[in-house]
Amino acid sequence: MSSALTEVRRTAAPAAVERPARGKKPPTLRKARTFYLFVAPWIIGFVALTVFPLGYAFWLSLTDSDGLSPKTHFVGFDNYIEIFHDPLTISSLAKTGVFTLVTVPLGILAGLLLAVILNQPIKARGLFRALIYLPAVVPPVGAALTFRLIFDRDAGAANGILSSLGLDPITWLVDPNARYVLYGLVMWGCGGSMIISLAGLQDIPRELQEAAQVDGASYWQSFTRITIPLLSPVILFQIITGVIGSLQSFAPLLLSSGSLSGAGTVPQGNYMYMIHVFAQYFSASRFGYASAMLWMLFAVILLVTLVIIKVSAKTVFYTVEPEGKK
Amino acid sequence: MTRTYRWALYIVLGAVVFAMLSPIYWLVQTSLKSPAEMASFPPTWWPSHPQFSNYTDAISKVNFIGATQNSLTIAFITTTLTTLSSAWVGFGFARLTAPGKKQLFVILLSTMMLPGIVTLVPTYLIFAKLHMVNTYWPWVAWGLGGSAFLIFLFRQFFAGIPREMEEAAIIDGCGYVGIFWRIFLPQSWPVIAASVILSFTGAWGDFVGPAMFLSQDSTTLAVAMASGYVNDKGLPMNNLVAAGAVMYVLPVLVLFMFMQRRFVSGFATSGIK
Repeated sequence: MSSALTEVRRTAAPAAVERPARGKKPPTLRKARTFYLFVAPWIIGFVALTVFPLGYAFWLSLTDSDGLSPKTHFVGFDNYIEIFHDPLTISSLAKTGVFTLVTVPLGILAGLLLAVILNQPIKARGLFRALIYLPAVVPPVGAALTFRLIFDRDAGAANGILSSLGLDPITWLVDPNARYVLYGLVMWGCGGSMIISLAGLQDIPRELQEAAQVDGASYWQSFTRITIPLLSPVILFQIITGVIGSLQSFAPLLLSSGSLSGAGTVPQGNYMYMIHVFAQYFSASRFGYASAMLWMLFAVILLVTLVIIKVSAKTVFYTVEPEGKK
Repeated sequence: MTRTYRWALYIVLGAVVFAMLSPIYWLVQTSLKSPAEMASFPPTWWPSHPQFSNYTDAISKVNFIGATQNSLTIAFITTTLTTLSSAWVGFGFARLTAPGKKQLFVILLSTMMLPGIVTLVPTYLIFAKLHMVNTYWPWVAWGLGGSAFLIFLFRQFFAGIPREMEEAAIIDGCGYVGIFWRIFLPQSWPVIAASVILSFTGAWGDFVGPAMFLSQDSTTLAVAMASGYVNDKGLPMNNLVAAGAVMYVLPVLVLFMFMQRRFVSGFATSGIK
């Protein structure tokens, strides 16, 4: 989009012209103008690529648009009413909720545990950290393909292990087992959570724990009374970003056909909300209804985030920023 | 720390590392198997006759070279524009004052919590109306808009640079654009490195963006890998899938191995400061 670029230039030009008049303008006004020159790309981008699309989606959600036929009708809130009568929408939202409730806490707990272990003075901890973190940098498509291969019916390692134990092979990638493959895929990336928790642990002043030990606190006491409270903002951050990410996850699509129009190939157990949205957009071309679904998701995410922040307000412990800390 | 405790830790860590790396082992060994070996059950743990030709087949079966070029182009556009734009905006937030700045900064921070995909689909419809689907313009636009997280990283870094630097430059008649370009940007290479790595891996790994905005024959590696290797019957050719995936994942892993510290500092700061 070239308009963002020209827009920036346009605001830049007057500032350059007025440079000779420097002495007459109050310095704060000049500074304010320069400030807006600098933040303009972001403001324009935010309006054009976030606010406007969201508004456009809202307008679409009030119509029966299919994206092709020129005749679209205003249908009011019919699409929103349909959401509550569409059993697939409700069940997919429920599955997304279960997925979130399982994978977010498990991932954070695993990451925290690993971070605590690797925050201790043991040999080769740098290497351990790197190797455990490694899967988190594998691109999502690569990770999903790898799990497809591990859980392949004939050539997969999972059934190889089962057969060497004398057990019957399992068809992993269909119902009801596909959801466990999905959970496994998400957990494979828990090194990302470990890195964030580790950085949080390293920020806790060592003197606090040492003082507690001098006062006779056990390791567990100093962990629950000092480490966890001081780490709580970091954990809260992970809960919020984790929940937002999970609610809009489309990982099941990558585990099955790997194409946007392939929602039909996703096993029922993994048929999550975003999959249903893709099905409405790219298979059924129901742009109006799919936009209503997106707004619904937006509202759910906003609501859940606010509830988490509200509920955590009493439990999360914020230290006063030490002076000079950047 | 007692001896037994230390050993217990190593056993736990060893098990976790094994669990983390074995999927990668399985991917690599699958990439070397013949179709016949793929079909036999139970699976072998290492290919009896490693088929390196799988890699050349994986390159010729899909438009691998073309898709790689597209991936690199998009990654290059995203990385340079996002980094420059984020640094530019971050400088404004760190060094200049204006009415409304506080509110804008709060908006900036809260956009980090916006669900990305929710805006992506309607953005697609808008670009389709502007006939910009199947071009690189969407990535130019996203790049120029900067990334809220990277703007924040740059702001934090620039805010820590002593004020005297800037004042001396102003006395010398240097404008803020010059101060940004000649003094602040050259100092910020640790953030630039983190930004380049984050935006490169982000663009290289992105699936939905190119799947939506580019047609099948001008798409990126991520999309080509996700659905490209199927035989006439529509069944996946898993040994080629594996070979393609290895080549697709490798650049990111190599980048990670050499630039580990930057990866970690980039991701780790996200939560805390």
